Amino acid sequence: MESYSNYEIYLMTGTMIPFVSFVILMLFGHRLGKPLSGWVTVAAMASSCALATMTLVGWMGEIDGGTSAGLTAAAQLNQVTWAHLGSIPLNVGVKLDSLTVVMYFMVTFVATWIFVFSVGYMAGHSDEVDGQSKYHRFFCYLSLFGFSMLGLLCSSSLLFLFVFWELVGLCSYLLIGFYFDRKYASNAAIKAFVTNRVGDFGFLFGLMMVAFFLGTFDLEQAAARFAEQYQSHIGLFAGDMTIDLLGWEISGGMVATMMGIGLFCGAMGKSAQFPLHVWLPDAMAGPTPVSALIHAATMVAAGVYLVARVFRLLTPDAQMFIAIIGAITLTLMALIAIVQVDIKKCLAYSTLSQLGYMIFGMGCGAWIAALFHLMTHAFFKAMLFLCSGQVIEGCHHEQDMRKMGGLIRKMPVTAFTFLIGVLAIAGFGIPLAGIGLGGYFSKDEILAVAWDRAFLWGEPLEHHGDGHADSTTDDAPDSMTHTGPQAIRLVSRHAHVFGWNGGVIAGASAAPTGLVEFGRRDRGLTPPAIDYRPSGASQDRDTSRDRDASRGRDTQGAPAGFALASDPQPDEHGAAHDAGGGEHHPAAGAWQRSGGDRLWRVLFWCALATAYVTPFYMMRAWWMTFMGKPRDEHVYHHAHESPLMWFPLVVLAVFTFVSSYWLFRPLIADAAPTASGGILVAGYDGVADDAAAAAGQLIHVHEAHHWLAYGVGGSWLIAFIAAIAIYRGGLALPTRLKAAFGPIATLLERKYYFDEVYGLVFVKGCVAFAHVCRFVDTYIVDMFANLLARMTERLANFSGNGVDARVVDGVFNGIAVTSFDISDMFRSPQTGRIRNYVLFAAGGAALIVLFLIVMASLSAGPVAVASTGG
Amino acid sequence: MDSTLLSWLVFVPTIGAVACLLAPREVTRTVAMLASGISFVLSLFLIPPFLGAGDEMNAAAVFGSSYGDALHFIQRIPWINGESFTIEYFLGLDGLNLPLVILTTLISLLAVWASWNFDEWKINKGKKGYFALLLLLETGMLGTFVALDFFLFYIFWEVMLLPMYFLIGVWGGPRKEYAAIKFFLFTLAGSVLMLVALVAMFFYSGAAVAEYPELAVSYRDGASVLTTGTFDLIELATNEAIQKYFGESLFLGWRFAPVMFIFLFVGFAVKLPAVPVHTWLPDAHVEAPTPISMILAGVLLKMGGYGFLRLCYPIFPSGGQFWAGTLAAIGVVSILYGALCAMAQTDFKKLVAYSSVSHMGYVLLGIAVMTETGFQGAMFQMIAHGISSPMCFFLVGVIYDRAHHREINRFGGLWLTMPKYGTMATIGFFASLGLPGLCGFVGEVFVLLGTFEARHTFTWAVPAAILAAAGVIFTAGYILWLIQRVYLGPQKPEYADYPEATGREMAILMPLAALCVVLGVLPRVVFDYMNGTLRNILDQIL
Repeated sequence: MESYSNYEIYLMTGTMIPFVSFVILMLFGHRLGKPLSGWVTVAAMASSCALATMTLVGWMGEIDGGTSAGLTAAAQLNQVTWAHLGSIPLNVGVKLDSLTVVMYFMVTFVATWIFVFSVGYMAGHSDEVDGQSKYHRFFCYLSLFGFSMLGLLCSSSLLFLFVFWELVGLCSYLLIGFYFDRKYASNAAIKAFVTNRVGDFGFLFGLMMVAFFLGTFDLEQAAARFAEQYQSHIGLFAGDMTIDLLGWEISGGMVATMMGIGLFCGAMGKSAQFPLHVWLPDAMAGPTPVSALIHAATMVAAGVYLVARVFRLLTPDAQMFIAIIGAITLTLMALIAIVQVDIKKCLAYSTLSQLGYMIFGMGCGAWIAALFHLMTHAFFKAMLFLCSGQVIEGCHHEQDMRKMGGLIRKMPVTAFTFLIGVLAIAGFGIPLAGIGLGGYFSKDEILAVAWDRAFLWGEPLEHHGDGHADSTTDDAPDSMTHTGPQAIRLVSRHAHVFGWNGGVIAGASAAPTGLVEFGRRDRGLTPPAIDYRPSGASQDRDTSRDRDASRGRDTQGAPAGFALASDPQPDEHGAAHDAGGGEHHPAAGAWQRSGGDRLWRVLFWCALATAYVTPFYMMRAWWMTFMGKPRDEHVYHHAHESPLMWFPLVVLAVFTFVSSYWLFRPLIADAAPTASGGILVAGYDGVADDAAAAAGQLIHVHEAHHWLAYGVGGSWLIAFIAAIAIYRGGLALPTRLKAAFGPIATLLERKYYFDEVYGLVFVKGCVAFAHVCRFVDTYIVDMFANLLARMTERLANFSGNGVDARVVDGVFNGIAVTSFDISDMFRSPQTGRIRNYVLFAAGGAALIVLFLIVMASLSAGPVAVASTGG
Repeated sequence: MDSTLLSWLVFVPTIGAVACLLAPREVTRTVAMLASGISFVLSLFLIPPFLGAGDEMNAAAVFGSSYGDALHFIQRIPWINGESFTIEYFLGLDGLNLPLVILTTLISLLAVWASWNFDEWKINKGKKGYFALLLLLETGMLGTFVALDFFLFYIFWEVMLLPMYFLIGVWGGPRKEYAAIKFFLFTLAGSVLMLVALVAMFFYSGAAVAEYPELAVSYRDGASVLTTGTFDLIELATNEAIQKYFGESLFLGWRFAPVMFIFLFVGFAVKLPAVPVHTWLPDAHVEAPTPISMILAGVLLKMGGYGFLRLCYPIFPSGGQFWAGTLAAIGVVSILYGALCAMAQTDFKKLVAYSSVSHMGYVLLGIAVMTETGFQGAMFQMIAHGISSPMCFFLVGVIYDRAHHREINRFGGLWLTMPKYGTMATIGFFASLGLPGLCGFVGEVFVLLGTFEARHTFTWAVPAAILAAAGVIFTAGYILWLIQRVYLGPQKPEYADYPEATGREMAILMPLAALCVVLGVLPRVVFDYMNGTLRNILDQIL
C-alpha cells in the first residue's frame, strides 16, 4: 500500500470530524445543552471546511504544476478490503480528483454557514413542540449528515457511494421528520425515504450489473473495463453477459443501457426527478436550514454527482433517457412554482426545476456545465432558503406569501440577499459582455450544449449523406414484422438500437462526427469515434479500415466497431448493409434524420422556454414577499432580522457573486477529461480548454452561445418585467388571471395530481394488498392448518369414540358377551372355571402369532427397503 | 484437534438447569445467568483456532482444503453400537456453525437477563421450571449446531422441541395452548420426515459402501474404508461411494437425492419458516413471553438455514439443483408475502414476527441459488437477523411491560416519552429495514447479488432478484410506518408518565445495537469466520 498523500488525509480527516461530533452529541448532547451543542457542530464543520480549503488551494497548485493526475492515480491504489463478494474484493478508498475536491469544498463551506444560521434559527424552533429540548438532536443529525455527505463524495467505490447514499437518506428522513410530533412531518419523512427506496431499488439493480458485468465496484476500474469491453472485437457486454428475463434475453448494448438507467434511478430518487419528484416539496416540513442544506444544496445534488461519476458507463440511450427525464422535470416543476404561495414550496419547486436542468445537462453530455450549475445553484439556492428561513422566523412562522409584502423595510439585508439569489437563478447577465452571475453562465452553458446536440449533431455531413437510409429503413420494418418478445430481441440484437428507436441512436452516432469538426476547430481534440452498427464483429473489422480512410482520422483508442449483438449476424442485414453502403462511412449507416433528432429539439425548446419561466416565478416570489404594501398587519409588525442569521446570508451572497466562474469551473473542467471521456458518449464540453476557461471566456460551443445570447440573454429582463407588472398592484390582478386560466391553474395548484394518484395507486393499493395478504394468512393458510388439525381430531374422535368404542370394543364386548352366553350355555352342565382357561389360551396364542408376524416383518423390512433402492 | 470443550459448552446449561431446580427460588435467576454466562464465555474460547482466517494464506489452514477437512474441537465417542451400525457422539466445529454457536450463547444469555423481572410477569409461577427449561433449550440448540452425527443431531433437534413447547404453553399469553400445540405439531411433522430420511440415508449409505467398496474411502484419515452405513454428516457428504450411490439410486421409484432433499427440507422449512408452513410462527411469537420470542427469532429460526447448509446441500447437491427453482420461488414469496402481511398487522409483535418471515426468505433465496455470494449472504443474513430480530422483540417487550398491550395504533409519541429507548428502537428497526451501515443491509445485498450472479445457471434468477429487491421497498414501508405510529407523533397522555428504559433494559439493548453497527460497518467480522467453509461446501457440491 502506498502512503497516503496529504490531500487524502485531509479529506479523510475532514470526513471523520463531523462523525466525531455526531458521537459526542449522541452521548453528551443533552448535557451540552442549547447553544453549546450547536457550536460543537459548527466547530466540527468549520474544521472540515478549513481542511477542504487547504485541499482546494493545494490542489489548484497541483493542477498548475501538472502533478494532480499522479496524485489521483496514487489515491486509487490506497484501498482497504471491506469484504469479498465471491471473488470480487470490495474495496474502500478515497476518490481524489478535482471533482471531489471542489464538491467537498462546496459542501463543507455551505454547510458551515448553514450550521451557523441553524444555531440562530433553532434557538426558537427546537423547544416549541414538546416538554424537552430536541435542540442537540437536531445538531446530532446534522453532524451525521455532514459525515455521510462527505463520505459520499470521497468514495471511490460505487458500493460505498451507495452506503453513504443511504445514510444521507436516513439523515434526510430524520431531519424532515424532526418535528415528528406533527403528523405531516412524519408523513413527509416516510414519503421521502420510501420514494428514495424506489429509486434505490433501480440503483441496486444497476449495481448488480456493474458488479457482475464489469467485475468491480470501483468507479475507475469499472469505467476502464467498460471501455475495454467496448473496444474488444466482440463488443460491449457481449459473450455471456446477458440477462435472461424468463425467456426474454437481453444482451449487449441493451444491457449496458439498462445498467445506466438502473444507476440513474438512484439519482432520480435523490435528485427528485420525475416521476419520483413527489417527496421533495413535502420535505419542506423539516426545519428551514435542513431544506437549505440537504434539500437544496447538497444531498439532492448527489444525484447529479452520481450521474457525473458514472457518466462513462452510460450509453447514448441511457443518456437520452436521462435527458428526457431531466427535461420533463425542469419544465413541469417550473410551471408549478408559478402558482405556489408558500415561500418554501415555491423554492422547492424551483429546486426541482433546477435539478432538472442539471440532469438534463448531464443527459445532453454537458458534463461540466451541469456540475457547474450544481455548484452555482448550491450557493444561491442555499442562500435563498436561508432567506426564506429568516423571513419565516421573522414573520412568526408564517410561510404564506400572500400574507407578506413590503418586508423590505423590515428586513433589508434579507431582501437584498434574496434579490441576489433571484438574479442568480434567473440568469442575470449582460449578453455578449461576459458579465453575469453564476447562474447566467451555468444555465447558458447547459442550453448551449443542448442546442448543439439538438441542431448541430443532427446535421448530416455531406460525404455520407446518402446510401444509408436503406440500411436503417430496412432494419426497422424487419424488426417490426416480428411481434412480441422476439421482435424486441431482434431490435436489441441487430439494430443500432439500445432500446428506444433507431433515430435516437442514429442521432447520437452521427453526433461525434459533427463534434469532430467542432472539436478540431476549437480545441484541436478528437473525440473518440462512435459507431453503432447493425452488423457483427467480423464485418466490423473488415470495414473499419475504409471507415478510417473515409474519415481521414485516427481512430486509435476508438472501437473497432460497436457490435451490439453477442453473436455475429450473417444475415440479410449485413448483406443489405454491404450492398447499400459498402464503401460509405459505416457510421452513417445508422444515421437518419428522424424522431430522435426531433426529440432532442423538443427537449431543447422545453429547457429554453423554462429559462423564461424561472425568472418569472422567482421575481414573483420576491415581489410578493418584499415589495408592495404589507398585506397582513400582524406578520408585518412581527418581522425582524437577527444577526446570527443574516450574516451567513451575506457570506453566501458574496460567494454567489464571486465564486463560480473563476473558481469552480476551471476545477470541474480539470476533472472533465478523465471523468467524461466516455467512449460511448463524449462529455460534450468535457474537453474544454482550461486556460481559456480560466479567463472567463466561453470559447467552446461558440456558435451556440452566440445564438443563445439573443435567445435567452434577455429572458430574465422580460420575465422580471412580466412578474412585476402582474404583482405590482397586489394580489388583485393575479387572482383575476388565475380565474381566467381556471383549469390550468387548478392543475398546477394540485401539482398535476401526482400525490393523489400515487396515494391512491401505490399507498392505498399497497396497503389494500397487504390486507389481502393478511386475510389470506389469517383465514386461509391458517384455516388449512386448523382444518387439518380438526380433521385429525375428528378422525381421532371417530376412531377413538366411534370405531374403537363402538366397533372394536363392540366386537370384543360382543365376543365377550357371546362367549359369556355360550359359556353360560356350556356352564350350565358344568361347574368348573374352564372358560377362563380357554379364553386365556386362545388369547395367548393369538398374541404370540401376532408378535411373530410383527417381528418377521420388522426384520425383513429394512432389507426390503434397501433392496428396492439397489 | 480433539477437545471436550464443545461438550462442556453444550452441557453447562444442562448442569445449570439442574442447579436451577435444586437451588432455592431466590437465586434461580442468578444460577441461570451464571450458567448461560459461562457457556457464553466458553463459546468465546472457540474463536482462537479461527483467528486470522480472513487472510487467504491462513484460510486453507483454518478451514481445510475441502469440506470436513479441518474440523475443530472434535469429540468423537462411539455411543450406541449395534451389530451393523455405530451411532457416535460426534461434535465438531467449522465455519458454518461457529458464528451460530456464539450467536446462540449470546442470545440465550440476553434472554435469561431479559427474564430477570420474571416475578413481575402475569404468570410468575414455576420460576425454577422456567429457567431450567430455558437452559435445557439452550443445550438443545447448541447441541443441534455442533452435532455432526445425524442421529445425535436428530436427538438434539427433538430435545429443543419440548422445552419450547412448555415455555410457550405455560408462560405464554391468552392463546398459549393453541400456539404451543401448533408450534409443536408443525415442527414434529417436519421431524417425522427427517426421521424417515435418517433411516433411509443410513441404509442407503450401507448399500453404497457395499456397491462401491473401492470408492468408500473415509474422510477421517483418508485411508480406512467404510464398510457399513453411517450417520456421520461429513462422511455422507464427502464419501465418494455414498455420493455416487445417492446420486443414482431410486427411492420408491423416485430419484433418491431429490426425495431425501425434500424430506429434510420440509423439516427445516418449518423452522425457517418458509411460506406456507410459517403459520405457526406469528402465533408462537405473539403468545410467547419476550425472552422466548428472542430465542425463537434469534436462534431457533436459524436451525432451518443451518440445516439446509449442513444437511441438504452437501449431502444431496443434485437435490438442490433439482429443487432450486421451487426453493427460490418459496424464498421470494416469503420475502414479499411476509413483508405485505407485516404491513397489515396491528399487533406490534405479530408485525415483527412477519418481518422475520420476510427476512428469512432472503436466507432461503440466497441458499437456493447455490452461488458463493448467495451462501455468504444467507449465512450473514442469519447472523444479522439473529441480532436485529431479538432486539426488535425485546423492544416490543419493553413497551409491553409498561403498556400491557401491543396494539400499534394505540401507541404514539413514545420517542418523546422515552428518548433513549426511542434511539435504540431506531437502530433496531433500521437494522431490520436493511439500512447500509447496519447489519441487515449486508445480508440482503449479498443475497441479491448472489441471485443475480446465478443468472447463467437459472433462467429465473434475474426476475427473482428483481422481485426480492422490490421487497426492500415494502420493508421500508412497513417499518417506517410502524415507527411513525409507535414512536413518532405527539405524546399521548396515557403514556406520558412511562419511565425511561431501565439500566437492565438498556444493557440488553446496547450490545445488540452495537453488534448491529459493527456487523454493518465491518462485515468481515463474520465473513472471515465462515467464508472458507462455505467455499468448501460449494466446491463439494458444484
